[in-house]
Amino acid sequence: MKKFLLLTALSVSLVIKAQVNKVSLQASGLTCSMCSNAINKSLKTLDFVLKVDADIKTYSFEISFKPNSVVDFDLIRKKVESAGFTVSAFYATLSFSNIPLNAGKPVLLQDKTLLFVNAKNQILDGDKQVKIIDKGFVSAKEYKKSNYPVPAAGSYHVTL
Amino acid sequence: MGKLILFGFLFLSMSGKAQELFTMTEPASNIASGSVSLRIDNSIMDEINSSKNNYHLIPELALGISKKLMLRASTFFSNRTEKFRNEGGSIYAKYRFLSNDAMQAHFRMAAFVTLSYNNSDIHQEEISLYGHNTGFETGIIATKLLRKVALSSSVSLLRAYDNGNDNTFIYGLNNSKAVNYSISFGKLMLPKQYRDYRQTNLNLMVETLGQLNTGSGRYYVDIAPTVQFIFHSQSRIDISYRKQVSSNLLRTAPNGFFIRVEHNFFNIF
Repeated sequence: MKKFLLLTALSVSLVIKAQVNKVSLQASGLTCSMCSNAINKSLKTLDFVLKVDADIKTYSFEISFKPNSVVDFDLIRKKVESAGFTVSAFYATLSFSNIPLNAGKPVLLQDKTLLFVNAKNQILDGDKQVKIIDKGFVSAKEYKKSNYPVPAAGSYHVTL
Repeated sequence: MGKLILFGFLFLSMSGKAQELFTMTEPASNIASGSVSLRIDNSIMDEINSSKNNYHLIPELALGISKKLMLRASTFFSNRTEKFRNEGGSIYAKYRFLSNDAMQAHFRMAAFVTLSYNNSDIHQEEISLYGHNTGFETGIIATKLLRKVALSSSVSLLRAYDNGNDNTFIYGLNNSKAVNYSISFGKLMLPKQYRDYRQTNLNLMVETLGQLNTGSGRYYVDIAPTVQFIFHSQSRIDISYRKQVSSNLLRTAPNGFFIRVEHNFFNIF
């Protein structure tokens, strides 16, 4: 039954050769530069991360990745949490090439499944920024409003 | 020679890296998971009714075990008796059980336990697990951070036992228990605006520290202002002066300077 569901999901979703170009996240719960540095150094330990540009003023981190690496959004989130803080915004810039987005249909990206929320039917082309809106990727306050159910591992609710 | 060793320690610790905010107390936040924090604490306390200064050297090593749990080991040296010597050590564990984070703000709570061993003579009614008494302490901490200001408070119960080397707790079982409490206020003064991790941070803090002996009902209240510098977002130096405001407890050396040098090593295990 599980296999059947999986096959169904695969057949209705769009397999695309998209790339995660960068992730930009904002961390909350901190003021001091030493705390920001703890996050900065924690993110740099991920093997698929090429570079972390920290903006201490806005508590945001722009992360670029090694070529052909598989980017794990959950691991990025966990690195911020292990430094003692919380992700309050998480944006991923993805490259698409003429991918039709049909409402309600998941989009496969590397090993991840993207569940677009409130998106109109359209053709995705070029670099697009998506925002992950699942628990742990937005502030507790923001999550309370949307309250999307926790998706299966590797799946993410996103908005364009 | 003693001075040389001290400078050596200071120099070594300068090359390391550091984390938390308050000096005399701990905030509810922990050091980052997988990180190590090395501290060299120095107290130079003015002994009452003598011209002597009691010097306490307390090296500390803290580990971020997980995002919620940290451990710290400390060892105590002092010159309070005839010669400068090691007098014991302590283990401290802190567990953060509540964390409400928002932009540049948080409210956090943590529980902690300290187990301490000391083999020096018992010389005062005040109970201190920071280089004076064998005993244990357990309590909770609540910390509110709002932009550049932090406010923290703690309440704990402590119990002294006989010290090592047959040094009995001479004030009786009934007076071996106390409640400690603290209120700490800190403010980031500089930089006005963050640009990079190499900017030196200047923090000013004021902490109020109190103890109430539950047996005798006697107490002390101290105040401790601190100037804190953070370098390269990794190392820190705190300079405090602790001053007794009010007390009817027998205390040997309540007033004096405290200097902490700390360095943090991020993500090393």
